Amino acid sequence: MTGSTAVPALSGTQAAILAAYAELIEEVGSDDVSYRVIARRAGIAQRTVFRNYPTRVDLLLATAAWIEATVFAREESHSIFDIPLTIRDAMQRYDARPELAHVVAETAMRGVSGAAPSPGRAQLERLLDAEVPSLDPAERRAVVAALSHLDSVGTWVTFRREFGMDRRDIADAAAWAAEAVLDSIRDRVAPRFIS
Amino acid sequence: MEESVDTATAILASAAVLLRERTFDDISYRALADEVGISERTIYRQYPTRAHLLAALSNWIEQTRFPLPPFVTVSDFRAAVHERFRAFDASPAYAYVGARASAISPTLDAEPAYITRAIEAMLDVAVPTLNRRDRRRVAASLRYFSSAMFWARLRTGFDLDAGEICDAFDRAVGTVLAKLPDATLAEP
Repeated sequence: MTGSTAVPALSGTQAAILAAYAELIEEVGSDDVSYRVIARRAGIAQRTVFRNYPTRVDLLLATAAWIEATVFAREESHSIFDIPLTIRDAMQRYDARPELAHVVAETAMRGVSGAAPSPGRAQLERLLDAEVPSLDPAERRAVVAALSHLDSVGTWVTFRREFGMDRRDIADAAAWAAEAVLDSIRDRVAPRFIS
Repeated sequence: MEESVDTATAILASAAVLLRERTFDDISYRALADEVGISERTIYRQYPTRAHLLAALSNWIEQTRFPLPPFVTVSDFRAAVHERFRAFDASPAYAYVGARASAISPTLDAEPAYITRAIEAMLDVAVPTLNRRDRRRVAASLRYFSSAMFWARLRTGFDLDAGEICDAFDRAVGTVLAKLPDATLAEP
């Protein structure tokens, strides 16, 4: 999710459909929105919506990916040690758009038939391999998995729901946890990254 | 009202049976009504939206399939979570329902999960003098790494099995506990 989230190229019509659906989710929730209402909001024919997204699940997954790549887009990190900052910013963005945050969180928890739950994995691996190449495979996997888990909307949902935290406390706790994960590799950076 | 409690349970039990052959999204209220032998309207009365059904189904699965072993110490906590992750791996369709339900916007005044309270109680005993902010940071981190979401993300996004997920969990817990001033808790 950090930096370049892979999103398939969308046509103008598709982007209009997804933007319209996202708007309606914020107004009335994801359950009650009919294709007719989405089509009207996007200013297109209902059959055009069906042609692009034959089922509600197709539409919801595409919308979740669109939300992630636009509303919740991240600035690219240049170091694995910058990830806590990225996470802090992301939590504040989720908090500003709670309905959309829940949609992204839920679609990522559907298994293979859902949205990719760790879109930032490749980016984290690239940064880690460049800066801290000496990790053994299990260490590397654990660091990437933990950071990927923390750099996700699930963190915001869980901290809010289970602990009643507000925006600042969520951002603080999520960044703190990421710093804790990085503590284990802080002094193992390859010499060429130290100046 | 007793009858409606039984009906509610019968609906959840049937939904759990249907989950063995299809995803939650493919379980229609129509199919569920046929399976239970009641009207679709009765299901709507019990569960006005699919989000209500998902939340109730997750609670029921949690109680019947994934009871959390009690824990007081950190090592018992680790063992309890390992047992859960292995149980999730053995019944992935059920575990994904739990992960999904914990990600949706709460349908009722949802109480924090039992495991959240248990982690807080564990920290009360293990680090009684820890300041409030650090205690919440630690509790929230441990809670999140022990969640069905963590299992689901590592299984789907990283293709890991239960053993590898337990290893990643142990390492994550280790990094969080290493933040604590009290070195005794940082031991595995």
